[in-house]
Amino acid sequence: MVQASSVEIRKVNKFYGPFQALKDIDLSVPPGKVTCLIGPSGSGKSTLLRCINFLEEYDSGEVRIDGQLIGYEAPGGRRMRARKLREMRRSIGMVFQQFNLWPHMTAQENVAEGLIRVRGLPRAEAADRAVEALRKVGLGDKMANHPARLSGGQQQRVAIARAIAMEPRLMLFDEPTSALDPELVGEVLNVMKTLAGEGMTMVVVTHEMGFAAHVADQVAFMEAGELVAVDAPARILHQPEDPRIQGFLRTYHERNAF
Amino acid sequence: MEWSIFQQYGPMLLRGFAITIFCWLLGTILGMVLGLLIALAQRYGVKPVRWLLQTYIEIIRGTPFLVQLFVLYYGGPLIGLRLDALPAGLLGLTIYGSPYFAEIFRSAFRAVPHGQIEAARAIGMAEPSIIRRILLPLGLVSALPALVNFSIILTKETVILSIITVPELMYQVQRMSTETFRYLEANLVLALFFWGLVELISRAGRRLETRITKHLIERT
Ligand SMILES: Nc1ncnc2c1ncn2[C@@H]1O[C@H](COP(=O)(O)OP(=O)(O)OP(=O)(O)O)[C@@H](O)[C@H]1O
Ligand SMILES: [Mg+2]
Repeated sequence: MVQASSVEIRKVNKFYGPFQALKDIDLSVPPGKVTCLIGPSGSGKSTLLRCINFLEEYDSGEVRIDGQLIGYEAPGGRRMRARKLREMRRSIGMVFQQFNLWPHMTAQENVAEGLIRVRGLPRAEAADRAVEALRKVGLGDKMANHPARLSGGQQQRVAIARAIAMEPRLMLFDEPTSALDPELVGEVLNVMKTLAGEGMTMVVVTHEMGFAAHVADQVAFMEAGELVAVDAPARILHQPEDPRIQGFLRTYHERNAF
Repeated sequence: MEWSIFQQYGPMLLRGFAITIFCWLLGTILGMVLGLLIALAQRYGVKPVRWLLQTYIEIIRGTPFLVQLFVLYYGGPLIGLRLDALPAGLLGLTIYGSPYFAEIFRSAFRAVPHGQIEAARAIGMAEPSIIRRILLPLGLVSALPALVNFSIILTKETVILSIITVPELMYQVQRMSTETFRYLEANLVLALFFWGLVELISRAGRRLETRITKHLIERT
């Protein structure tokens, strides 16, 4: 079992100029649980996810990891010191839709990089741990490949290995399978399921309703910058009360029916 | 055509060519380094710094090298900057090339996908590490063709150093021409030397490019 973090989001607001991308968001992510964020395009899912590791600055409210405020010294106060922010980010892994592997490094180098630069491990040890992390995602035989020599699914698994090698207590996923060919989605979801099974706290923005239904402990539905509902997967996906969720699911089912 | 004069002037021309290559190489390297520093300062610096550097870039790019060299060599002593011809020439080349190199680096940095920088920030990498390990390597790759191209342009700018009496190839060719009246032969030799040099640089550039992009290109 991994050590798992909790996330508390309180009254978070985010503006892009006059446009309000997040409106008074409240969300609790309990330790060791999987939370899926769903909702239509442009509803603010990525923005909210990115506020959790402060890749996106929120303008007001609080985001706390294990009770510790991220991004600001105090609520409504000064920006947090860069060093302090980096320290907090060390225990938050993030996986992007576009993988964002470093193309000039091999799979192994991609994974070892953070261990060397951030954790300060000696090269040899970092290399060993990179191998270990890559084995875990089923890529023990692709360590020497550069990203250009890997399939999309393999690249995304390297990206997951890069994150978990840092031994995070929280993992953020932003549509990790949306850029993948359908036949490659499963291998990535399987790795994520394993992680969830080990008790990792996970926040997952996804359009994979199957994953949300079977793996998530709670599902949060967003629309137009608002968090409309948070509940058990079945209650959101099978008996939604809010007409906005009903509409979203109807569109989803229509698109996926043939 | 009269080629026998090269028995007399050959060694002098070769020495001139050596100085041309020396000036080009050092001026290019220093100009690149200065340009890189400018590009980094523009990316990470505060507003006044960025504005100051943009002004510098516009002034240098907006004036002919010849004028810059005159100002530096003949105007320099007025403010206490008294340089010999060769150092003045090197400094001139460095300054002249720097804004072009800076612009090349600036746009190359912008071509590095932001997500790859964010991925580094997300695992807690510090900005200097990100620059050294991700921004610079990837930026250099996309900058390389333009860097080679501008270095080639710089080879030919070295001839201007002759007017402040740097004894490079053009200077020697002019001396030979006026002493022997063999303008055609002298300038043909000049052209030949430069053509060879440019050819060499562009070949080296292409090889380097193939080498460093080997891993970055997707197998199709
Ligand atoms: N940098 C930005 N500047 C201005 N507006 C932005 C910026 N980033 C996002 N937005 C806007 O904020 C809103 C929320 O964007 P966000 O990316 O969070 O949506 P999303 O729910 O992740 O959508 P998708 O499913 O398409 O990824 C959108 O309307 C978007 O246009
Ligand atoms: Mg998104």
